[in-house]
Amino acid sequence: MTVKALYEYDYPSRDRQENFGADLLVNVQWVNNPLFGAPACFRAPKTMPWADFKAQLIDPWAASDPDYDPAAPKDWQVVGGQAIDPGANPALGDTGVAHKGIIIFQT
Amino acid sequence: MAKLSMRERYSLLTRDLDWTPTYVDPKVVYPYTRYEGIKIHDWDAWEDPFRLTVDSYCKYQAEKDKKLYAVIESFAQGQGHLHLTDARYINALKIFLQGVTPLEYAAHRHFEYLARHLDGPGPRFAALCQSIDELRHTQTEIHTISQYNKYYSGLHSWSKMFDRVWYLSVPKSFFEDAITAGPFEFLTSISFSFEYLLTNLLFVPFMSGASFNGDLATMTFGFSAQSDESRHMTLGVGALKFLLEQDEANVPIIQDWLDKWFWRGYRLLSLVAAMMDYMLPKRFMSWKEAFELYFEEQMMNGLFPDLEYYGIRPPRHLEQAITEKDYMSHQVYWLLYTFSHAASFNTTIPGPDELDWLSASYPDTFDRHYRPLWDRAQRLADSGHRFFFRGLPTLCQTCQIPMTFTEPGDMDTISIRGTEFRGEHFNFCSDGCKWIFDREPEKYVQAWLPVHQIYQGNCGGATIPEVLAWYGIQNGADNGEYLTSPDKASWDQWKAAAQMGASR
Repeated sequence: MTVKALYEYDYPSRDRQENFGADLLVNVQWVNNPLFGAPACFRAPKTMPWADFKAQLIDPWAASDPDYDPAAPKDWQVVGGQAIDPGANPALGDTGVAHKGIIIFQT
Repeated sequence: MAKLSMRERYSLLTRDLDWTPTYVDPKVVYPYTRYEGIKIHDWDAWEDPFRLTVDSYCKYQAEKDKKLYAVIESFAQGQGHLHLTDARYINALKIFLQGVTPLEYAAHRHFEYLARHLDGPGPRFAALCQSIDELRHTQTEIHTISQYNKYYSGLHSWSKMFDRVWYLSVPKSFFEDAITAGPFEFLTSISFSFEYLLTNLLFVPFMSGASFNGDLATMTFGFSAQSDESRHMTLGVGALKFLLEQDEANVPIIQDWLDKWFWRGYRLLSLVAAMMDYMLPKRFMSWKEAFELYFEEQMMNGLFPDLEYYGIRPPRHLEQAITEKDYMSHQVYWLLYTFSHAASFNTTIPGPDELDWLSASYPDTFDRHYRPLWDRAQRLADSGHRFFFRGLPTLCQTCQIPMTFTEPGDMDTISIRGTEFRGEHFNFCSDGCKWIFDREPEKYVQAWLPVHQIYQGNCGGATIPEVLAWYGIQNGADNGEYLTSPDKASWDQWKAAAQMGASR
């Protein structure tokens, strides 16, 4: 079904990839910590190595919980996609996560 | 001339002033009432619920205004705000005044549009009256804001905040969804779904909350608006039945809109649920009880058996709302608690009595899932780590609430739904919000999502203080923890002064 209108109703998406240049919006959820009531959203370059993404963006956010141990996260997984191997240190754009996709982890 | 009866005056001054255009095609005069697919055969079959004329309408409203402003005046002179149960209560009021006042104004504008663009004189006049009502409500709410703004933080930039702040994008996008629809969808969304189906879940909680917590200014506004609201309810259910009776082909279109607007309205009311269960120092009813009474009993058992006659069934995704009544308020207030550093209200951990009230009100869920969370929050606060979510949340593309809701019946797993449209990925909090997107993706891809706007650089900067400044939020006063807030400090000072005065 489409929008019923008196004219051709066609507008671009407000958050389409091109509005973020070479960056992606990536959401991350710490699934077994109820202190975090929602996933967090980050903006980061597609070329950013996984280790940098984690150290510069995920770790400071996860440290909202003072008990967070940066070595604890495991079972990284793209929702609806593949597991992420942090050891291989892929570029963010090579993890398979889509623009605005969600990555989950456990501790 | 002999004095005319009300009915004659109404007939002469409204319906009799209408004429059928002959030089111009009526479709040109009323261009918006055909493209939604709704078929109207007889506009005169619209039963006007009010039968008011402009002069009688103005007379009633002027009398109500006079009474209301007299009470507000005496409230101001007698330091009425000091009779509140506690200054913490004001935070519930802030959510209402920041979120609802601009909606009243948007409703005023859109009913004015209907007062021009509906083909029948009866509905046009009813829409005109409601348009003026909504403007009056906007004004009276602004006067209430002005009373509290003299003493409390968070209310000084309500209009700017409505256009900018993340949690206010929830009511704003809800209403903009309605006013950008056609006139018949608007009637179904606002007049029927919002002002009839869900209205008691919005107004009763706030007005009873006001009454239980000594907020005379808001209570008086509520009383003054009450007779208007009952007219709006009559208009809403009258409009729905009129549309259903005009043509059988209207039924599936209306059903589809009801399905959409039930879920849109229900998600919006999750803010009310959090307010009821957590933000009133003196509580009167839990969200669960209110949902059971005002929705399940009054609407599902009262209204829907009636609508079945027209072929209307209960709204889609209703069963998920019923499942959520046991825990939804806890999830949403936790969100408000952990994001209040970026909001124009203060939050705090419920006290021991309040935790017990929550246990008693939610025996199946609270002690198992949410009390441990509050205990943990308390331990963190006691050790100097009052918990805040130091990041930006993922938002639902449809309702724009951070993705906090869990899988129905499973309080441990956040519900994540996704869809692809034109090769782009979108996130949703629930089956209901995904279903709404999927039926009109071209509309919702344009959503102004506050988090994504910050990342596009449209909200004053990249850091929290820059964004707060752009929001109009005074960092350290309007936002954050209640116990260390200026509101709490002033309140304690006023109360101490009053006590000293009394003991003298």
